[in-house]
Amino acid sequence: MRERVVVTGLGVLSGLGEDAASFWDGLVAGRSAIGRWKSKDPRLECRVGGDLSDFSLEGHLERVGGRYPARLVAASKKLLRATPLAGRMTAVTALQAWVDAGLTEGGIDPERWGHVCAGHNLNTPYLVENARTFVEEPEFIEPLFGMMVLDTDVVTVTAELLGLKGPSLLIGGACASGNLAAINALDQIRAGRIDGAVVTGAPIPMEDVALQGWVMIDAITYRSFNDEPARASRPFDLRREGFVPSEAAAAVVLESLSSARRRGATVLAELLGGAAASDANRLTKPHLEGQTRAMRAALRDAQVDPERIDYVNAHATSTPLGDAIEVAAIKETLGARARVIPVNATKSMTGHPLTSAGVVELVATVLQMRHGVVHPTINLDEPDPALDLDFVPRRAREAKIGCALSNSFGFGGINSCVVLGTAP
Amino acid sequence: MREGRRACRDKVARMTRDDIFEVLKANMYKVVEGSRDVPISETASMKDYGADSLEMVEVVSRSMKQLKIKVQRTELSTAKNLKQLLDLFEKAAATPPPAK
Repeated sequence: MRERVVVTGLGVLSGLGEDAASFWDGLVAGRSAIGRWKSKDPRLECRVGGDLSDFSLEGHLERVGGRYPARLVAASKKLLRATPLAGRMTAVTALQAWVDAGLTEGGIDPERWGHVCAGHNLNTPYLVENARTFVEEPEFIEPLFGMMVLDTDVVTVTAELLGLKGPSLLIGGACASGNLAAINALDQIRAGRIDGAVVTGAPIPMEDVALQGWVMIDAITYRSFNDEPARASRPFDLRREGFVPSEAAAAVVLESLSSARRRGATVLAELLGGAAASDANRLTKPHLEGQTRAMRAALRDAQVDPERIDYVNAHATSTPLGDAIEVAAIKETLGARARVIPVNATKSMTGHPLTSAGVVELVATVLQMRHGVVHPTINLDEPDPALDLDFVPRRAREAKIGCALSNSFGFGGINSCVVLGTAP
Repeated sequence: MREGRRACRDKVARMTRDDIFEVLKANMYKVVEGSRDVPISETASMKDYGADSLEMVEVVSRSMKQLKIKVQRTELSTAKNLKQLLDLFEKAAATPPPAK
């Protein structure tokens, strides 16, 4: 019999909050994490996003550091002092999840615990900034650029902070990366290779060239909401016009049920299964067939019938085509069940955190299951009449969730889905 | 812009050895844990204060950037202690910048 895999710790950094509790407050209140970019090139047509470029470890530790053990506070100050944004944010969320899971007490074999990090292109602003320095003065690039520019530095700095001596790796799958990382950890734990893992969603720090590139392919918002940033991310609304890029990181601790029981850990939810499917198409256009196939495969892996799904956390990035295809795929997969359950869009509030989205939404899904409340989809001012599911418009409400499904789809037809259940 | 940099470097060139040592020590305090708690001597090496190889690279590079001086990596590797490093920095600070 395969190992059951459970969630025992959560961590998150978003414009909505800098821990799971404040993030939850923001979700339930229907707050937007989107504002004007703080320091981007004024020529950029896209002026809005979730900007955490000024995230400071010192500030975070001043506000909430009291909940972390002094040893880990000291280690994080030393390790993260010169670490670029993605590594700093990722490590902080991993630390939160580690503390939340009660793992600071020890009692585990560190060689059987790993770090699976979702993300790629994580240090682009750092690369660009140093490239500019190089043009002027090659000698004055950042001293540890040769090490810290690598995406793997984000993985290893967290592994060092938490003493994780099992497999540490990076999983890349565009905006599906988060779910793919969770699925990788699920597979490793089921196979008995490890007892547990910290699964992190690393942010892609935003920089001007990438944003301009997304404007040019019409992927992100830039026309209508530059002066109303909180209204820019509007999944399922008639005026949706593209995703809203956002910086956010998140982490979950996944471990075998037997490990959690051995440690006496509080189990927050069970990761019942997950799956990925490719459209075999490099373009950004989503495909109904691939998304449906990913959801069906995840349900099969989880051994859950569609009738048992009580809630869907949609990928729902606020693009005209993406939201429509996903709604059709949910209907195709869940049949009549799709019409009687809540389907909401966390990104209406967080914006789209790209490679970390799957983990951010895993955290959001577990919180909703634990609280028995579904958060709203905000900015549904003029619901698209062609999209006719219950998107939980505007206000949070109570909902009993036994099983939940969470989608993440990436550019290039990378489709993924995970299925969660209540704590066994 | 180039004129501005040269003026700045002329100012740096007037720095004394003590000024340069202060910049070096300030970076050691930031980078090498515990170095603030003990007197830093010119005759010692950064290793004596517990610095690892990457921390040494960081202290040296940050100091050169702040002092606006350039010393080739091959030359830097010949410095066996802080005194020899300061000698290299002092020499570089006194050398006029190459014409561009």
